Amino acid sequence: MSTPTAGQTQAVRQRRRHVEPLYWWFLVPSLILFTLAITIPGLVGIFFSFTDSIGVGDWRFIGLTNYVALFSDPAVLQSYLFTFGFAIATVLVVNVVSFMLAVGLTSRIRLKTPLRTVFVIPMVISGIIIAYVFQFLFNNSLPGLGEALGIKVLSTSMLSNPDLAWVALVIVTAWQAIPGTLLIYIAGLLAVPGDVYEAADIDGATKPQQLLRITLPLVFGYVVINMILGLKNFLGAYDIIKGLTDGGPGTSTRSISMTIVGGFNGGDYAYQMANATIFFIITIVISLAQLRLTRGRSL
Amino acid sequence: MPLTRRRAARITAAVLTVAAIGLSAAGCGSMSGKETIRFAFSKREAIPFMNDVVATYNKSQNKVEVIMDTSGVDVTSASFVRGNPPDIALANHNMEVSRFVERCTLTDLADTSAAQRINPDLTPLVDQYGVCEGRTSALPYSVMSASVIYNKQIFADHQITVPQTWSDLLAAADKLKAAGVTPFYGTFAGTDAWTIGQGWFDYSAGGMVDMKEFFETLHEEGVNVGPHSRQSFQKDFLEPMNRMLQLTDNYVNADAASRTYADGNLAMAQGKAAMLLQGPWAFSEIAKTAPNLELGTFPLPMTEDPGDLRVRVNMDLAAWIPERGHHHQAARDFLEYLYQPEVIDAYNASQLGFTPTTDAKQNDDPRVAGMKPYYDAGQMYQGPSVLVHKSIPVFNYAQAMVLGADPQATLATIDADWARLAFRQA
Repeated sequence: MSTPTAGQTQAVRQRRRHVEPLYWWFLVPSLILFTLAITIPGLVGIFFSFTDSIGVGDWRFIGLTNYVALFSDPAVLQSYLFTFGFAIATVLVVNVVSFMLAVGLTSRIRLKTPLRTVFVIPMVISGIIIAYVFQFLFNNSLPGLGEALGIKVLSTSMLSNPDLAWVALVIVTAWQAIPGTLLIYIAGLLAVPGDVYEAADIDGATKPQQLLRITLPLVFGYVVINMILGLKNFLGAYDIIKGLTDGGPGTSTRSISMTIVGGFNGGDYAYQMANATIFFIITIVISLAQLRLTRGRSL
Repeated sequence: MPLTRRRAARITAAVLTVAAIGLSAAGCGSMSGKETIRFAFSKREAIPFMNDVVATYNKSQNKVEVIMDTSGVDVTSASFVRGNPPDIALANHNMEVSRFVERCTLTDLADTSAAQRINPDLTPLVDQYGVCEGRTSALPYSVMSASVIYNKQIFADHQITVPQTWSDLLAAADKLKAAGVTPFYGTFAGTDAWTIGQGWFDYSAGGMVDMKEFFETLHEEGVNVGPHSRQSFQKDFLEPMNRMLQLTDNYVNADAASRTYADGNLAMAQGKAAMLLQGPWAFSEIAKTAPNLELGTFPLPMTEDPGDLRVRVNMDLAAWIPERGHHHQAARDFLEYLYQPEVIDAYNASQLGFTPTTDAKQNDDPRVAGMKPYYDAGQMYQGPSVLVHKSIPVFNYAQAMVLGADPQATLATIDADWARLAFRQA
């Protein structure tokens, strides 16, 4: 009994060990780069979060002091509240709008191809340029329009209103993020076979019913992907905020990434490494939770 | 399998060798036999000028080749973290550099001949950015003096003389406003919060509070900074901030909240406002649109005593040589060259700065003439917005106040930030 089993195991092991060497060539360069550029610096950063290092010169261990200071820092707390609120709002806007656009652009309408091109253009423009262009629109064009039409709300810049600046950020970020999400939804919708709709038609389902009961469940995997990718991207929001408000007015739109980078340049290295460590843990937890909640329903 | 592995190892070794050769070649410098030193300089407006200085120096001798590195402040900071700082730098002297000073990563320049010629009035200002005991870590190279920029024609048209007291200032502003002229041009847009910090916030506080004493006390108080410390932002800055808000609430353009730094320069050039709270760097921008516009400067009066008038200065450039550089002697030779009167005076004349040496021939540009008496008399201060640690977003706080946040609460926040910073750095 035992002999054949052992032989089989060995055969399996040997087969397993015989990996096509080409695959290693696919993996190794990325592995080296990833280790050198992300894993090692990440570990070094976590290590320094327990010190008083400012990035140069001598440092000593100060235990959890940075973490204690972090949790009592209203500025840090505010940046977390802002970033999460912003990310959730943006994910919702982006997914709702791009899903609707995708449904429209996969239906039998004229000018489908040129329209798709138009909607995808924002994707190829870099964030900081988009931010500068929109800054001009918000600060000059929109107030000008508001004045000409006598609309009072529009006549002052949204960006200089601490209660509304985040709305402008959501709009601009969504404008840039929608094309990517849109493409994924179009791919998803095109993969839905046409015969299910025919069957639904015969059964007398209305178009809205078809959308909710057939299309949405069938592309739910794509919704999950878009939600996870979107949330991850928007939690790291930086360039568009930098160009539009630079965290202002006041400190109302300072994202977590901006706080971390600001501390790095400002000689607050260890403290912001502690912040980054906490942020890293929170992001991991969210991703795992999202994956778990949606397990079985994805593709 | 072992064969493949050995081959993989060999290839890896080859790759590493090539990389190592590449790195060491980059480290050795030029092949011409000249010693190469890397000179960090990132003041954008002055790069063409400094390019010429470097080219002249490189031609004047055949031992050292100076290579200018204009990649910017953040890159220079990062190079310290990586242990690969420039050999010499002329850089804005601020809180960011202070950490290199305080942790003694810069060499002692006390025995250079340039150090003997530095105006002693400036030493306490340089020391505000930290000291490494027993060392002269940085030498000032260019001092920028900033105050209110005003349109001489508009002042003359309305028979306004340069205000010397707070009530003079209000009277002048009222007169302009009544005549339909915007007294001050505000540029409070989100991304340009620095204009509020360096102008409104600094001039107001600097005109009323002794900055040197204030920051010394704050450093002593450390974690105790707050409502009960000897001095604090909420106690000492409230009065100046209220006066600042009196100006920004009543005497600026209606759309100030969405105007940027560039908008402000254009508006001044077009005569759309009488005054702008900016530094001399704005002159060249304004001159792009209005090359012949007559502009002057005066310190913002915040009290009723003309004796309190002071100008805001900053060490726009200071020279330093990092410990970790590899060519100390060559760097010091180049430093002495930079401090030769004809080089340093020409540089400061070109940038409308003041030369920090005792034997300087100061420039006599009429646009900065209004500040010269105060500079010469040592009546100057460094702005609080640059003396606060960079991790405290003081520009944003100043902006919040101008756009309507409660000054008392905002100043208390700055105090709390200060105390928290002291706590974790204690």
